[in-house]
Amino acid sequence: MKGKIVKYYPLIPVYIAYLILFLIGINVSGMWQLVAMLAFYCAIGQAFNIFLGMTGYVDFGYVAFMGVGTYGMALSISHLHQVQWLGMGIIIIGLLLALVMASLLSIAVGAVALRLRGAYFAIATIGVNEGFRFLIEGAKIWGGSEGIIFSGQLTQTFGRETASLLSTLWADIFLFFIACIAAFITIYYMRGKIGYALTALREDEDAAKVMGINVTKYKIIAFITSASLAGLVGASAWALKLTYVFPPQVFEIHYTVECIIIVLLGGAGTLLGPVVGGLVYGLTKYWLTVIVPGFQLLIFAPIIIVIIVAFPEGIVGVLKRRFKGTTFKKFII
Amino acid sequence: MTLLKLENVTKRFGGLTAVNKMSFEIEQGESIAIVGPNGSGKTTLYNVISGVYFPEEGEVIFEGKNITHLPPYRRAPLGLGRTFQIPRPFSSATVRENVAVGAMFGTLSNKIGVDESLETADRYIELVGLSAHIDKEAGSLTPTEKKLMEIARALAMKPKLLLMDEALAGMHPKDIDKMVVFLKKVKEEENIAIVSMVEHIMRAVAGFAERVIVMYQGEKLIDAMTAQALSDPRVVEVYLGHPPEGTHA
Amino acid sequence: MIGAQLTGNLMQGLILGGIYGMATMGLSLIFGVLKVVNVGHGAFIMIGAFITLWIFTAFGLAPVIAIPVALIVGMAIGFVFFYLVMRRLIKAPELASLLATFAIGILLEEIAKLIFGSEFRGYNWAVGKIILPITVFPMSKIYAFIGSIAIALLLYIWFKKTRAGTAVRSVVEDSEGARVCGVNVGWVYALSFAIGIGLTVTSGVLLTMFIPVGINPYMGGGYTLKAFVIAVLGGLTSPYGAFFGGLIFGLIENGSYTLFALIPGVEAFAMTRFLSFLILLLILLIKPTGLLGAK
Repeated sequence: MKGKIVKYYPLIPVYIAYLILFLIGINVSGMWQLVAMLAFYCAIGQAFNIFLGMTGYVDFGYVAFMGVGTYGMALSISHLHQVQWLGMGIIIIGLLLALVMASLLSIAVGAVALRLRGAYFAIATIGVNEGFRFLIEGAKIWGGSEGIIFSGQLTQTFGRETASLLSTLWADIFLFFIACIAAFITIYYMRGKIGYALTALREDEDAAKVMGINVTKYKIIAFITSASLAGLVGASAWALKLTYVFPPQVFEIHYTVECIIIVLLGGAGTLLGPVVGGLVYGLTKYWLTVIVPGFQLLIFAPIIIVIIVAFPEGIVGVLKRRFKGTTFKKFII
Repeated sequence: MTLLKLENVTKRFGGLTAVNKMSFEIEQGESIAIVGPNGSGKTTLYNVISGVYFPEEGEVIFEGKNITHLPPYRRAPLGLGRTFQIPRPFSSATVRENVAVGAMFGTLSNKIGVDESLETADRYIELVGLSAHIDKEAGSLTPTEKKLMEIARALAMKPKLLLMDEALAGMHPKDIDKMVVFLKKVKEEENIAIVSMVEHIMRAVAGFAERVIVMYQGEKLIDAMTAQALSDPRVVEVYLGHPPEGTHA
Repeated sequence: MIGAQLTGNLMQGLILGGIYGMATMGLSLIFGVLKVVNVGHGAFIMIGAFITLWIFTAFGLAPVIAIPVALIVGMAIGFVFFYLVMRRLIKAPELASLLATFAIGILLEEIAKLIFGSEFRGYNWAVGKIILPITVFPMSKIYAFIGSIAIALLLYIWFKKTRAGTAVRSVVEDSEGARVCGVNVGWVYALSFAIGIGLTVTSGVLLTMFIPVGINPYMGGGYTLKAFVIAVLGGLTSPYGAFFGGLIFGLIENGSYTLFALIPGVEAFAMTRFLSFLILLLILLIKPTGLLGAK
C-alpha cells in the first residue's frame, strides 16, 4: 500500500506550486489577474503535455479543442438561460458540453489524423483546425463569423454581481481545478500500462508494435484525454471569462504554439514540466509586456530558438539529470 | 509439432520482389539459422513474419492459426518475439522499463500489471547479465548491452518463437561464444524455437543452429541440417557472388 | 452568363495557381531534403513582398528587377538560418524543427514590423492590360505568371542537368545511400535549405506582382496554410509536384469561390478555404504521396 502512495509523491511539488500561486492570488491585492493568467498557461500546458509530451506527436491544431469547448459553454448559456429552474446548472451543462464536444471532435480527428505520422500528422491537424474554423464561418454555424456574444444573457440570468464573479473569479478557480486534475491524470497514466505504452511508441513506434503494443489505442486515449481537458480550459478561460466566442480568435494557431512552447520549455513528457513551463512563460510574457510593450514576440522568438537548440529536454529535463540519485529524485518527474 | 509455417510467401516493393515464394516450417524448440548475403531478403522475411509487412501472396501460419494479415501488435502476444539488426531500445526509458514493456504487452494475458512486469523484467535482466545497468537509460548502453537488453525484452514476452536479426554481428568473438552458450541454455530452459538471421556463415552458426536455411535473391536456396548445408558448394558460390545453378538470377 | 464568369475566373485561377505553385516549391524542396516542414514559410514570402515594394517605391524600378535581388537575399537568409539553427535540428524530433521554423517566422515578422510598421501597403505598377470578353488581365499578372514558369523550369533544369541538382535528388531519394555514394549530405542540406528559402522569398515578388496590395508583416500566414495544401496536393517532397499542385489549387480556389457565391446563406470566401482544407485531409488520408505522386 505504501508503495502505491510513493508513486504519487511527484504530485506534491506540483500541488504545492498551485497552492502557493492560488494563495498569492487571493491574498495579495492586484495579483489575481496575473495569477489567473499563469493558471491558464499551467492548465493548458498540463493538458497538452498528456498528448504532445507523452506521445511525441505534434498537434498543431490543438487550439481547436479549446475552441469547441468555448462554443460548448457559449451554446449552453445562450440557449438555456431562459430555463429558469436550471440556475447555475447551465454552467455545469456548459462544462459538460465542452467536455463532450471536445472529446467528440478529438475522436473524429484522431480516427483520421492519427493514422499519419510526423510532419504529415502536424499538417493534417493544422488542416483540421483551419477547416473547422472556416466551416463554422462559411456555413454560418453557431453564429458564423460573428460568433456568439452572451454577456447579456449571463447578467440577465445571474445578476450583475454574480456574473462578474463568475468571469473574474470562478472561471479562474476552475482552471486551478483542471490543472490539478490534469496533473493527476498525467501521473496516473505514467505509472500505469498506458504510460509504458506511450513511452515505447514515442521512442520507436514500429518497435512498440512488434512488442505487442496496440499503438493506435494508446495514442487515441492520450489524444482524447488531452482534448477533453482543453475543452474544459476553453469553456472556463475563454467562454466564462470573455463572455463571447469569436471564431478567428478561438482557432488562432498562435495559442497552439504557446502551448507547445510551455510544454517544451518545461520539459516534454514530464509531470512538473508544464507547471514550470507555464510559470516561466507566463511571467516572462507578462514582464516583457510591461517593459517592452508591443515587442514581446521580437524578444521571445530568439529565446525559443535558443531553447530548442540548446536545451531540448527542457528545464525539468535538466533538473532531473541534476538531481539523479538524490532524495529529490522521487519528487521530480 | 509445427510452430510456424510459411507457404509460398511473396513480398514485393514496387517492381522489386524482395521475398519470392518462400515456404518452410519451424518446429517447436528448434534452432535455425537463416543465412544469406546482404539484400537477399532476410529482413523482409522477418518483417513479414512479425507483421510489419503483409505479403502479396502466400500464408503465414502460427500454431495452426492463419496470421497472414494480423497486425504486429496482435501477433506478438501469440508468442512471437523479435530483436532488431540495429537495436531499437526505447532510449529514454530505463533498462528495467524497457524489459517490463515486453512482459506487459507481449503476453496474451491482459492481467499482467506494472509491478508484476517489473519483477519479471528483473529476472530476465539478471539472466542476460545486465543487472548492474538496470536503472540506466537504455540509450546510454553500449551496442552489445543494447543487444542483450533487446534479448531480455523479447524473452520477457515469453515467446514460443524468437526471431533474432544479426544477433551476433559486431560482437567481440569472446562475447559471441558466451552468447551461443546463453542462447542454447535459454532454448532448453524456456523451450523456445530460435531463428537467428546472419549475413555470414561463421562458426557461431555451426555451434548454435541445428538447421540452416540459405536465402539468395529472395528465394530459399538450401534448407538442410547444419553440417550438410555448410558443405553444400552452392553456399560458397552465393557468397562469392556467382549466381548458383537452379536459380534465375 | 455564369459560364462566362466561371471561365474568366478559372483563367485568373490558372495564372494565380502558377504563382502559388512557384511559392510552394521551396517548401517542398526543404521538406524533401531535410524532412523539415517550414512552418514559417509565409514570413519569407513577406520578405519578398517588402523587397519588391522597396525597389519599386525607393528606386522606381520595375518589380521584375526585384526577382534576382530576392533570390540572393533569400539564399543568404537561408544559409544563415541553416548554419545557426536548422543544422542542429535535422536529427531532432519533429517538435523541435516545427517550433524552430515557426519561431524564425515570428522573428522575421517582428523585425519587419519594427522596420515597416504594421499598416497595409501597396503599389501600382501600371504596364497595360489585356482585355478579353470575359475577363481582364493586367500585364503585371502575366509577367508574374511567366516569371513563375521560367523559375520552375530553371529549377527543373538545375535538378536534372547539374551535378549539384543530382546530388540533391539522390538525398531526397535516400540520404543514407547518397552518403555512402560520396555525396556531401551536409552541404546538400545547406544548399537545399538556402535555395528553398531563396525560391520562397522570390515568390513573394511574384505574388505582389499579382496582388500589389495588402503588403504587411503578417501577410504570410494565409500563404503558409495554402502552401501546405498545395504541397500535399503535389506529394510534399517534390518541387514540380508542388508547381502542378499550385495550378490545380488556383483552379479549385477560383472555381469553387465562383460557385459558392451562388449559394445563398453561406460565406463564399470561408467555404472556399474550408474546401481547400477538406481536400488537404482527403489527400493525406487516401493518397499521401500526392495527386501526381508515384504508387
